[in-house]
Amino acid sequence: MSDLQKGFYPHGDNAFIANFSESEREVLINLSEQIIELLAERIDHHSDDPLAAMIGITSHDTPPEDEVLLRLLPNAYADQVDASEFRRYTESTLRQKKQGHAMAMRSNLISAVDGVVEIDRDGANDWLGAINDVRLALGVRLKVEENSAEELQLLAPDDPMHGVYAVYSWLGWLQESLLEAVMNGSQ
Amino acid sequence: MVKVNEKVEEELRAIFSGDVPWITIVWDDPVNLMTYVTYVLMELFGYSKEKATELMMKIHTEGKAVVSTGSREEMERDVARIHEFGLWATLQRGDQQ
Repeated sequence: MSDLQKGFYPHGDNAFIANFSESEREVLINLSEQIIELLAERIDHHSDDPLAAMIGITSHDTPPEDEVLLRLLPNAYADQVDASEFRRYTESTLRQKKQGHAMAMRSNLISAVDGVVEIDRDGANDWLGAINDVRLALGVRLKVEENSAEELQLLAPDDPMHGVYAVYSWLGWLQESLLEAVMNGSQ
Repeated sequence: MVKVNEKVEEELRAIFSGDVPWITIVWDDPVNLMTYVTYVLMELFGYSKEKATELMMKIHTEGKAVVSTGSREEMERDVARIHEFGLWATLQRGDQQ
């Protein structure tokens, strides 16, 4: 039972272990798949340059209209012209890297035996990035602000956002446990 | 005797080459855990826990902090790496703060 209460913990020099219940495992697999899908390339009907597409240059340079996606793929410049130019050359790579984090997390969960996930330092960075992306996405929908925790805790139990907030909080706790394991293990 | 450190050398070079150093700014975000922001700064920039914590606190209390300085290309690389880990960063010329 105690393993279920502590999230990730260090195991030896370069490994971190967590023990997930079946429902926790399912929630995490489901969320990682949704992130992977969300980050799939925008379908580009105007692309007539396969070489550009191959090296990650896309013809779309406007920020995503979806609020969640914009949070995951933010502008790099305050100036709109510079932001568009940067996006054209980098957004595709950023999508792939973020998908890579979520895919690694999903794959660890799929292959977990009895809910036990063991990852190394690189795996930990995948998990930290992936959990953070999920939290950012949920945070946008929950309209999380600096002092909104109290308000969110008071959501009625039959409000669907009540459950979303429970997942969001649990992910924060899980991420914190992994951070503690990684930072105390390496410093 | 005049002694110059690396930073001064960089400035002197910039004066003659017309290059103005660029900066990377990380913005405060109500979702990201404070420990996570500290960890990302340590991991991506090799900062000590003390320096990363100090920057994180500045981001948290002042809304933003400059986390790195260098050429425009270097700052674009930094911003891309920071975005990969879900913090919001932007770059700009260092003289336009």
